[in-house]
Amino acid sequence: MKNASEKIVFTGSGIVCGAGATVNDIWAVLESGETAIGPYSQWQGDNWPVKIAAEVKESNRNLVSDRKLHKTISRTDMYGIYAAEKAIENSGVLAHRDALAEEKQDAFNDRTGLIVGSGGGNYTSNYDYLPLITEAKGELHDFGKELSNQVTPMWLLKNLPNNVLCHVGIRGQLKGTNACITNQCASGIMAVAESASAIWNGEADRIVAAGHDSPFEPEMVYYYHKLGLMSSEAPKPFDKDRSGTVFGEGAASVVLEREADAKARGAEILGEFLGFGCCSEATGILDLSPDGDGVQRAIEQALDDAELSPSDIGMICAHGNGTPASDLTESIGIRTVFGDAIPPLTGFKWAYGHLIGASGIADLVMTLEALKRGVLPGIGTLDEVDPEIGDFPAAKEAGKPTSQNALVICRGFGGMNVVVAVRV
Amino acid sequence: MAAKEKRRIAVTGIGMVTPVGNTTEETWSALLAGKSGAGQIESFDASGFSTTIGAEVKNFDRESAVPDKKLLKFASRSHAFALAAAAEALADAGIAPTPEDSHRWGLTVGAGMMSVAYDDLKVIHDYATDENGYFNADGLLDPNFPGNPVNFCRWQSNAGLGLLTKQFGIRGYATSVHTACASGGQAIGSALKAMRRGQCDRMLAGGFDSMLNPIGISGFCLLGALSTDNDNPTGASRPFDKTRNGFVLGEGAGFLVLEDWDLAKARGANIYAELAGDGNSLSCYRITDSPPDGNGPIQAILQALGDAGVGIDEIDYINAHGTSTQMNDRSECAAMKAVFPDRIQSEIRVSSTKSSMGHLIAAAGAVEAAVCCLAIRDGIAPINANHGETDPDCDVNLVLGEAKPGKVRAALSNSLGFGGSNSSLVFRNPEEVSA
Repeated sequence: MKNASEKIVFTGSGIVCGAGATVNDIWAVLESGETAIGPYSQWQGDNWPVKIAAEVKESNRNLVSDRKLHKTISRTDMYGIYAAEKAIENSGVLAHRDALAEEKQDAFNDRTGLIVGSGGGNYTSNYDYLPLITEAKGELHDFGKELSNQVTPMWLLKNLPNNVLCHVGIRGQLKGTNACITNQCASGIMAVAESASAIWNGEADRIVAAGHDSPFEPEMVYYYHKLGLMSSEAPKPFDKDRSGTVFGEGAASVVLEREADAKARGAEILGEFLGFGCCSEATGILDLSPDGDGVQRAIEQALDDAELSPSDIGMICAHGNGTPASDLTESIGIRTVFGDAIPPLTGFKWAYGHLIGASGIADLVMTLEALKRGVLPGIGTLDEVDPEIGDFPAAKEAGKPTSQNALVICRGFGGMNVVVAVRV
Repeated sequence: MAAKEKRRIAVTGIGMVTPVGNTTEETWSALLAGKSGAGQIESFDASGFSTTIGAEVKNFDRESAVPDKKLLKFASRSHAFALAAAAEALADAGIAPTPEDSHRWGLTVGAGMMSVAYDDLKVIHDYATDENGYFNADGLLDPNFPGNPVNFCRWQSNAGLGLLTKQFGIRGYATSVHTACASGGQAIGSALKAMRRGQCDRMLAGGFDSMLNPIGISGFCLLGALSTDNDNPTGASRPFDKTRNGFVLGEGAGFLVLEDWDLAKARGANIYAELAGDGNSLSCYRITDSPPDGNGPIQAILQALGDAGVGIDEIDYINAHGTSTQMNDRSECAAMKAVFPDRIQSEIRVSSTKSSMGHLIAAAGAVEAAVCCLAIRDGIAPINANHGETDPDCDVNLVLGEAKPGKVRAALSNSLGFGGSNSSLVFRNPEEVSA
């Protein structure tokens, strides 16, 4: 948490998801009110109860131009590398380094960190072993014998949860403090919070924070559906007819540094990191506290850390994943803090789906854009707020933030709640 | 820059489940004796794999380790290790979260690779592949497909975090990290930072992993990272030995209870050590290879010493990462020699306890941090076992033959992960802490 008077700012961002591969493209989708969720192409969905997702349309080659790398990483890593390198490019930090005298560059690299929130793993990567099981006729002895004839020696490397950390680090020579956070939905947003904390703590002068995930795959859809968490249409956060979430995929990234350093090198400042809150509801893997306990405490922690009071907040980007229980308990937690004065509230999962590990950081990037433009995009799929949620300012139509300060709320499995406060 | 006084953090509880013992004291006495936990793999038929040996946790009773039956249902093998080790750590510390202070308790974990169970994959195979074994998504829609949401939950990246916070009622800051073999060390470093910035007063921090299953071991066999000394399992892990040829895969969990120093003192807690410093760097060299000159690990060690305010002449014991692979051991020795040029070949006792326990991957850094605390408590350095002839590049002052007594004023634990994440932790003897 904040332990110094130095301001931490964002000086670059990158994002890719089903709604586009630039902030502007995705903004256009948010403003249009038309969801980017649609029929998917990764497999034939005709027989499936869920036939839609927000798939990234960019080819691997457009995401990562180095084709040699394609053999040693998975699709989710492509998203992460793309977003992180776009953020780096956008911030100009490495161009700044390269213009330094050569003897100063090593020290610069040692003071440049990289913190990545990763989805962790996926099911499909394990399917590389399925033909081997067929060949071995289910016998483990033969599975072991034939292993190296059937599966690439690079299998483990291709599927390391920390691959984006490794590759972005090597490619950019970001040698400072680092972490790979595998905290399900909270991964990406925690990467941002830990980055700001590390700069405040003096561990690094600048940090690239990224989050990436590709939850959209058959087994994930199967289980989410079986658990009643998945909708067959674009999610309708806070709506009386909401029936679940829909997967997206993608990544987002921001570069954080001290305001003084950013100004000294003439960087464009996208916004300021003010503080964060993070807590668990101690409810196990799936369950949620019915009183919105974790949402409330994470918001209170974030406000306290940012030295703001509830009335200073001019916009909330809610988690709003469209599942009945999560939206309801989120609204209860928000109301406990703000009472009858809840600021204008929106959420973006209706447009680009639920990016799981990348969801919070993608929402943060788009919240900065909303504050910059002074426009709060409406929830394109919202018809009528659930009466059980009560009087709640979830925006149907575009509106305006009432101040320059916003909260981004991110919730996840394990009873996780993370809230970040930002300002432009 | 006006240095702000850093909040002092105490280690007051330790819990371990390892291939050489299912409790802290059992593990510790085995490490002091240099006893090996390796053998032929017994939990599945490994006879066809290029490596048939591993260091398995033995006689672990899931049911008695995790009394909550509902929670146990969701726990993978490594989660069960974690729940058992964390319970031991809290019991050892003599304190646990209460409804009044649970929001001031935090949790950080280095979580294992999310490698799928072979049996679960076999079910996918049997329902959802074509005749050549290629995946066919519609197979999952077969009404008889036994897909169980419990398996799905177990497999989520923060499932361990979810089970631990629930089991112990931890309602504060919580996070889960995975930087391969550096995970456990980074988790403890993350906890230190969260406590120093005031987010928690007490934390449970550690790591857990179990890759000793057909899919887990396959990845390492394919890479050629494991020792293939299948006829000599107990001697296969020999860090810094000239003839070392890969690591021995282990499994287990280790947890520490961390407390604000003053709170620990006030309640008269037993303090093993001060968790004094954390260092953390990225080598940016190659994914699997270690930088031969130690560039990367050096920065992590220096940062940890600087963060702790511990001088290079105060470290008396180093628990090395020491995996027993050619490259890693050489890189780490280059780093240790660069940082401690005058004392690393004579005064500082160095051992890799992976020589006994094998490599616990995401749990390694956490278990080895606990080993440093015990070395401080008892004033003794555990053995670097299985040593024949030292690799000339690894000529550091190894603890050979028997455990080496002598006060440990401060200890360093290194963890160097696949992908180049390096974590170093410094622990200070409580007797060296000035009031």
